[in-house]
Amino acid sequence: MATLLQPEKVVYLVRGEKKARVPLSQLYFCRYCSELRSLECVSHEVDSHFCPSCLENMPSAEAKLKKNRCANCFDCPCCMHTLSTRATNIPAPLPDDPTKTTMKKAYYLACGFCRWTSRDVGMADKSVASGGWQEPENPCTQRINKLIEYYQQLAQREKLERDRKKLARRRPFMPQAFSQHTIHVVEKYGLGTRLQRQRSGAPISALYGLSLKEGEDQKEITIESAQALDEVEPLPEDYYTRPVNLPEVTTLRQRLLQPDFQPAGASQLHPRHKHLLMKRSLRCRKCEHNLSKPEFNPTSIKFKIQLVAVSYIPEVRIMSIPNLRHLKESQVLLTLTNPVENITHVSLYTCEEGDPDDINSTAKVLVPSKELVLAGKDAAAEYDELAEPQGFQDDPDVVAFRKSNKIGFFIKVIPQREEGDVTVAFKLRHDFRNLAAPIRPTEEGEATSEAIWLTHHVELSLGPLAT
Amino acid sequence: MPLFEGLGSGGEKTAVVIDLGAAYTKCGFAGETGPRFIIPSEIKRSGSPEAVRVVQYNINTEELYSILKEFVHLLYFRHLLVNPRDRRVVIVESILCPSHFRETLSRVFFKHFEVPSVLFAPSHLMSVMTLGIQSALVMDCGYTETLVLPIYEGIPILSAWEALPMGGKAIHRELHSLLSEQCTLDTDSGTGLSLPTVISSVPEDVVEDIKVRTCFVSDLQRGMKIQEARFNLDGSAERPAPPPDVEYPLDGQKILHVKGSIRDSVAEMLFEQDNEEKSIATLLLDTLVKCPIDTRKVLSENLVIIGGTSMLPGFLHRLLSEIRSLVEKPKYRDALATKSFRIHSPPAKPNCTAWLGGAIFGALQDILGSRSVSRDYYNQTGRIPDWCCLSTPLPDSVYEAGKNQPPLMKRAFSTEK
Repeated sequence: MATLLQPEKVVYLVRGEKKARVPLSQLYFCRYCSELRSLECVSHEVDSHFCPSCLENMPSAEAKLKKNRCANCFDCPCCMHTLSTRATNIPAPLPDDPTKTTMKKAYYLACGFCRWTSRDVGMADKSVASGGWQEPENPCTQRINKLIEYYQQLAQREKLERDRKKLARRRPFMPQAFSQHTIHVVEKYGLGTRLQRQRSGAPISALYGLSLKEGEDQKEITIESAQALDEVEPLPEDYYTRPVNLPEVTTLRQRLLQPDFQPAGASQLHPRHKHLLMKRSLRCRKCEHNLSKPEFNPTSIKFKIQLVAVSYIPEVRIMSIPNLRHLKESQVLLTLTNPVENITHVSLYTCEEGDPDDINSTAKVLVPSKELVLAGKDAAAEYDELAEPQGFQDDPDVVAFRKSNKIGFFIKVIPQREEGDVTVAFKLRHDFRNLAAPIRPTEEGEATSEAIWLTHHVELSLGPLAT
Repeated sequence: MPLFEGLGSGGEKTAVVIDLGAAYTKCGFAGETGPRFIIPSEIKRSGSPEAVRVVQYNINTEELYSILKEFVHLLYFRHLLVNPRDRRVVIVESILCPSHFRETLSRVFFKHFEVPSVLFAPSHLMSVMTLGIQSALVMDCGYTETLVLPIYEGIPILSAWEALPMGGKAIHRELHSLLSEQCTLDTDSGTGLSLPTVISSVPEDVVEDIKVRTCFVSDLQRGMKIQEARFNLDGSAERPAPPPDVEYPLDGQKILHVKGSIRDSVAEMLFEQDNEEKSIATLLLDTLVKCPIDTRKVLSENLVIIGGTSMLPGFLHRLLSEIRSLVEKPKYRDALATKSFRIHSPPAKPNCTAWLGGAIFGALQDILGSRSVSRDYYNQTGRIPDWCCLSTPLPDSVYEAGKNQPPLMKRAFSTEK
């Protein structure tokens, strides 16, 4: 029976760029646009960063500086588990009196899962518990920074040229010295040919026409071009005969965790700081309002803004399915739950012939023609043992039961195909009171806001035909 | 990273640099010395147990769009942890990437993630930028293929490209067939079992791991002897002594005995000349023959080898010796006058060199904007400019909309005002 509660059984149609059929529990509801939104049609944004092991929030400026890595936690380079700091006592000479020795605490990193320790790679024990371990620096950093500076100078030059050319072309009345002829000549014999640069689609030419030989007066950053080598070191002689100690050789995954070094030997695997995770906030693309904004605190699972669909749209669930037979009418019991606190009126309609949304249904469905009324959700009702009868007149053919904000009702299904799964679709129309909309200042007596009617396309998959 | 970056004072945010390879994707930020992450180019879906490869050229557009969308989502929200809307994107890619893939990728970036601009940078050109030189002969040994492209004075000589489908994928296939034929397995139930009886096929990431940890490329003499012994049917050629066997543990219960002879012979396929007498080494020489004569000396003295497959131990040494021996052969001796070959060592590992070039270019904020395809341009035209398509309209930055188009021919005496 639990299979009937699977979320994929009842899907709602989302009209975004692409029509998607998604269960209501995975949808958001933008109450400014009054439309359902799925994860595909909202824009995701990074909200806050935190470390997954120490659960410490990190402000985004600090995260950017630390390259999205926690300052205190480390990852084991062998098995990617979180490293723990362990302490030992080592005898060390007192600073005042070299002859006496006292026990000092020394800290090292160890992995509880694969038993790797920082001593395996030769990292000395530190005297402070945190903040002592440094990641090794890339030896090529200096060279790369120099390259970037040199190219930035060339790029500045190109930008100046481009701006100058733009300016030159804009002026229609030019002094005699700069006639059209001169400009064409300058363009033709000037810095490089412009034909390449006009098409940004062409394989981009890397700043070639701007060499530093053209005597400009600013201080020039020169760079020595890389020297090519005549010989490459061959493999050592014993490589062909030396047996391979497999635990000593790093796997590709371990190497790729450290892109700057990619060491082949396990004795050079240094631990790295733990990478942060982030909390995401969602925003409707049309009206740019936030649909979901999590709490700032990493330990809290609540949301500041949580416009999820299940708290605004009545939810349909399948309660029981009888044996379905080809071309025979059977009654399926569904439940409808009202998530809001005021009374909701729901009417169901069958899909018309040629409805473009109705592509999956394999059975005809007859829905109740009368309007169904759902009571508001009352948070205290579950504690109230003696619930008063709600005073709704229910037709026993349509409504099977009623319990606080939920009703069970019947629909009649006639499978049209002999084989395959039975899928039905219908339209659900309900009234929605938009409490978020601002109350218009002219109408002062209105306490409740206007109700708008929303229609959703719902599809149910009722499973295979009974054999 | 320069100090002023962290304070965020002035200028725009650093661009995101992504090198989408067939096997691995390198992603990070411009101006840094290495990618933040090197992750396999695949996504895990709840439907299939095996991971789905991201870089596939033969699937239909919708499927490719959803795969790329999921992958780029992971890149931004699990690895880079930044908002896509704020930062420009530099994509380092191969020149031979099909236009359909490029279009779908840019649609994912512009329509779904709404990035401000995208720049498609050719990987060979970017790797030259890491050296501070203007000309080089770049060979990219990747997963699907090995592609050689010469760059002269900053311009790729497109007509002289050469490629062979010899790369990581071919090596994995060969290694897998050798393992299935020749190697035995020890399990709880018995020792010395042949591989196909126990498991139907070894998964590709295990084959890759075996390749990375145990295989290597022998030097020229040894390699030649191994090739002779393989093709010599009457058994007169002696194979040099194989390296020791390796016992490779498979998933905790089985031990695979990798024969020593596999370890050094599997990489020979890169250097074996097939029926058309092509191997990786001949690609370089063929490219040189195709290039204009006055460029050849400069190019041959500036070789750059990038790509993950070139990180096999002994690869560079062997490649250089192969080229030097091939250039003496009659086919090339008369065609190429230059006999000196020199190889560069870029300031990054070969699999990240192209990424580093893209990062260096992405750090040039003055011109990155003007050379990229902006979101406005994409929304207006609906496509990105491609080097193989001549009908693309010029970007708006070159001429102001509303004015006349600039004359296409630059004439010395213009009769127009």
